[in-house]
Amino acid sequence: MTSASARVVSRAARFSRLNTLWPWLCAASVALSLLMLGALLTLLLVRGLGHFWPATLEEVTLSSGETFAGHAVREVPLPQQEGDERLYFTGNQDIEGARWRWVAIEQIVERAQPTDLIRIDRSPWGDFIGHLVAIEQGDQRWAGDAAWQQLTALLALPASQRQAGQLLLTTVDGQTLRQPLANVASAQAPNTMAWRQKTYAWGEGVWRFLSEGPRAANTHGGVWPAIFGTVLMVILMSVIVTPFGVLAAIYLNEIAHQGRLTRLVRIGVRNLAGVPSIVYGVFGLGVFVYGIGGSLDEWFFSDTLPSPTFGTGGLLWASLTLALLTLPVVIVATEEGLARIPEAQREGAVALGATRLEMLTRIVLPMAAPAMLTGVILAVARAAGEVAPLMLVGVAKLAPQMPIDGEFPYLHLERKFMHLGYHLFDTAFHGEDVQAAIPLVYATALLLVLIVLMLNITAIFLRHYLSRQRGNEC
Amino acid sequence: MTPPRLTSARQPLRLLQDRVATGLITAGGVGVLLAILAIGIFLVWEALPLLAIGDTLALAKLSPLAWGTLKAALAALLFAIPVALGAAIYSALFMSPRLRTRIKPALEMMEAVPGVVVGFIAGLILAPWVERHLTSALVLIIWLPLSAGLAGLLWQLAKTRLRRRLPLSWAGLWLVPWLVFMVAIALWLAPWFEQQWLGGDLRHLLDQRFGIDYATRNAMIVGIAMGFAVIPSIYSLAEDALADVPASLIEGAQALGASRWQALWKVALTAAGPGIFSAVMIGAGRAVGETMIVLMASGNTALFSASPFEGMRSMAAAIAIELPEASPGGQTYHLLILAALVLFIFTFLVNTLAEVVRQRLRRRYRQMGGIS
Repeated sequence: MTSASARVVSRAARFSRLNTLWPWLCAASVALSLLMLGALLTLLLVRGLGHFWPATLEEVTLSSGETFAGHAVREVPLPQQEGDERLYFTGNQDIEGARWRWVAIEQIVERAQPTDLIRIDRSPWGDFIGHLVAIEQGDQRWAGDAAWQQLTALLALPASQRQAGQLLLTTVDGQTLRQPLANVASAQAPNTMAWRQKTYAWGEGVWRFLSEGPRAANTHGGVWPAIFGTVLMVILMSVIVTPFGVLAAIYLNEIAHQGRLTRLVRIGVRNLAGVPSIVYGVFGLGVFVYGIGGSLDEWFFSDTLPSPTFGTGGLLWASLTLALLTLPVVIVATEEGLARIPEAQREGAVALGATRLEMLTRIVLPMAAPAMLTGVILAVARAAGEVAPLMLVGVAKLAPQMPIDGEFPYLHLERKFMHLGYHLFDTAFHGEDVQAAIPLVYATALLLVLIVLMLNITAIFLRHYLSRQRGNEC
Repeated sequence: MTPPRLTSARQPLRLLQDRVATGLITAGGVGVLLAILAIGIFLVWEALPLLAIGDTLALAKLSPLAWGTLKAALAALLFAIPVALGAAIYSALFMSPRLRTRIKPALEMMEAVPGVVVGFIAGLILAPWVERHLTSALVLIIWLPLSAGLAGLLWQLAKTRLRRRLPLSWAGLWLVPWLVFMVAIALWLAPWFEQQWLGGDLRHLLDQRFGIDYATRNAMIVGIAMGFAVIPSIYSLAEDALADVPASLIEGAQALGASRWQALWKVALTAAGPGIFSAVMIGAGRAVGETMIVLMASGNTALFSASPFEGMRSMAAAIAIELPEASPGGQTYHLLILAALVLFIFTFLVNTLAEVVRQRLRRRYRQMGGIS
């Protein structure tokens, strides 16, 4: 009897000992989530920003006597053997046919960092890594150190003021190349750069990334058209979604009879926020592009017809689709704001003789304004990160024309546009040289995440401010 | 102060303005609601022509996609549910309130990370890494929960002073470096483990012994990546449900002699059960409809395979890939629209169910007097 009860007690004790571990598993899942989020952001930050730091160039001599120049990217273990191999970015695609080179580490005899190794960013073939021999401009010729000084002086000028000329370049293994000056975007001699110069070059690189268009199949240059397209699309979308979302919220909360039907409609609207974005894309394609766009083409643009004007994806359709997608977000946020306004405020206004319109515009809407703003910001954040519906209704890999230009009517709603998220997807998965594009993909991803996080944080602070303000009043 | 007296001539104008504005708002509101309704009507209308074609073709085309969608969603939920619910339980019931006000928005920030970015990391960074270090990845999946338990055991054996320094209520934060340390240990030991027990190459072993192919982009990768995207939505709703459980219930259970964990497990979790259910439902809806992550991390091969090491093609990804090329009015077009309709109906039903359950739960809490 006693031994049996003792056994029960000891089992219970052991059980409770085990039970005390459960909270730790739960705590670990919080820690794991934080760790994953932190790892993701750190990875994006380090790789996205690190790409613009001028990498030290090496001249590598192999045991076979071959030499090449480049910068080391990473090392992995050799398959099926002992030892590691290292990936070098070597540039010079026009001379060597490839920009990358794997070498087994044990084959490397010597690694030097000569100060006269330079890296030139050219437009058709990407990077050149090697030595600068001379510059020829007309009959003038500079060689040696003077050539490098002349080159930096020339590149400091705006592209339109540079005189035509040629660079005489040699690779490390002695092949020579004549490079027209007009195609050179920038030049660096990273091995001689001091820390401050590198920081300066880094800032310049970041700026070029933000302000230039993509070059060389998205492996070089920047994302300016994509930023522009994203911002323009999001602005158009918020212009459409704000009035309609607010109207619908006011109708649901202030005018509609608060019965069973309104409750059902409210649940329905709330649920639309959970409908996959691709479904909205399908709707946009079927109704906006093929339906409305097709009819518009038949009526107004029949002279160009086999090639569609509005009957294909474009800026307008993308904005409309995303406006529909974010409508529930705005409605829900505005309704929350409206519901939080004390009934006494409305009754007071009406008791003083205000009509419903006056009560709404003078009392209710100003009080609900921060909530509306929160809703719009959340909508913008959602729209900026959304890619799937855009693939159906209007983004392009490389838009030939910007959607805003000097031609009448200035804003071209039918044009395709570039989008940061789609640019990321396209560069990462459909590029010719994914290896070379990945650093820029990291930078694009970082930019996108920063924009979206910033918008969300603004919305959180607004909401926080709002609830505190409300707390003071009640 | 007396209000300025309005001239009687303006009175009808004001009333007229009010009428017109009310009418406009009503028209606008109803119009917006109709536009939203139009989505469903359009999808049904465009999927109707399929009835004329006959259903064998539709079935043959859609069933691998449906399977792929379910497989991806299951993989994601398998990873997301334990982590999200664990995090919700901890942060609602154990975490210090001061930390909670910081951690909760931080975790909800995870939801804001765009799907393309997660998909890019999963498809181009994580997938090749896991392919090269399959053993390390699998060891990590087993090792991390064990190391959390180990932390708990060590904590109980530790001195009181250390315990007070590192309380359970802050464990969500100080376990982060511990986990980093444990990850490092696991990565360091995994090659040795593979050498000793698995004959040096796990993928080779899988292939030889069990005939399992390994695709670079597979269900496991999709599960981890999409799990990451789904965790915050499940966490946020489940945490709300748990935090709203009336404190009197838990206190009552403890007064009757239940231990803290018993009170939480038997009382709080049971009371919040419907809320947790609706959180999981919403997470499932999100996992089924997520497009970019599956598109980028799954390899997009329409296969019927239950292996976690093989890819799949989900309905959403198929729509994104094939619909721009499908000619409007053609068979593929209608089939893809049917797929979109299925997604729409599924997520709508799941979300409605979740919402109804949640509202009922809220009413129950109010009856218990928990919510003011």
